[in-house]
Amino acid sequence: MTPELRLQPDNTARRPIGEGHLTEEQFGELLSTSAREPAANGSLAEAHVQSCEQCAAELTSLRECLLVFREASTAYADNELRRMPQVTLPARRRRFLPVVEPGYWVLAAAAIFLAALLPMQVLRQHAARPAPAVAASTSSATAESDEALLEDVNREESASVPAPMQTLADPTDTVSSTSADIDTSNQTSDQRKD
Amino acid sequence: MVPENIQTFPSTSLTLGAGARTTSLDDLESVVAMYQPRVFRFLLAQLRDRDAAETLTQETFLRAWTARASFREDCSVSTWLIRIALNLARDHTRTGRFRFWKHIAGNAVDVADVAASVPNREGSAEAQLIAQEQVKRIWESVADLSARQRTIFLLRFLEEMDIPEIAAVTGLPLGTVKSHLYRALNVIRTRHNPQSQEGL
Repeated sequence: MTPELRLQPDNTARRPIGEGHLTEEQFGELLSTSAREPAANGSLAEAHVQSCEQCAAELTSLRECLLVFREASTAYADNELRRMPQVTLPARRRRFLPVVEPGYWVLAAAAIFLAALLPMQVLRQHAARPAPAVAASTSSATAESDEALLEDVNREESASVPAPMQTLADPTDTVSSTSADIDTSNQTSDQRKD
Repeated sequence: MVPENIQTFPSTSLTLGAGARTTSLDDLESVVAMYQPRVFRFLLAQLRDRDAAETLTQETFLRAWTARASFREDCSVSTWLIRIALNLARDHTRTGRFRFWKHIAGNAVDVADVAASVPNREGSAEAQLIAQEQVKRIWESVADLSARQRTIFLLRFLEEMDIPEIAAVTGLPLGTVKSHLYRALNVIRTRHNPQSQEGL
């Protein structure tokens, strides 16, 4: 028990943990300060720790606990870090960043230019090549036949009666004409005999 | 890959001379080798997400590399890097994506794995188990702290930064840093020894 601690003017604001023991702030200060940076009001708190076994035990236990926490966390992080890939340096980094890499722009422009040029070149070659004679004659013959076909169509259309509907020729007329022809031919042969 | 003396470096000893500081920042490979464990450890404890910690560690060094010209000589390199890492962690935590994935992430840190990493000292198996249980309890208690309390607690007891350095990293006044730290410690203390609250 240290009466000085209870007599601190702002002791009530510091919420003492237990009667006559270190306040929350004093405890925190003792825990958070290392050996190389002594606490501001360390003399008072440290004096209490030396005389109070309970606070001393708790302080020691917490310090050890925080030390183990640090060691375990560090060991765990180091172990995880070994699995982690190395940080890639910007100078060696090969990232596809067209905005910042002018080389990519040049490559992309060249690819687009080539892609556009190739079909144009093919078209130009087709246009410049002389048309074959066979092809020309074929095309003129086709045009003539087309014209003839058109004339036939025009003729049929201009006809008063369509060809399929025209009256058929009398077959007897054909027979009489044939017999007449025969008679004529017979007369001719008779005359030759005479 | 990682220098052995990194873990035992007091943060103040990492402060380099004015001329050497610029040189060391230009040599990013050395900076990464020296400070990556520290930055990653802090982010892992802060976010409890392996992938996020990994991504933000890389981002921290890339940002540092990009902004190396703006590095003022008012703090050490490690303080500056931790400040960048903290800002990135804050931005990351604020996004809704983090809140969503936090619940379903399979890469969240398992407290049991951390507890199992307790160094095996020359003690009994029982002592080892007790130590593991203590680590587990502190990790769980840290998760319950407010974001600011957690940050300050981790900077102090994981990164072993002193109070003025924490104030520089967080941009908070010394008194505020102390206040948050003492509250955080009180939470840890209560969990560690529930009898300590009985006297209240």
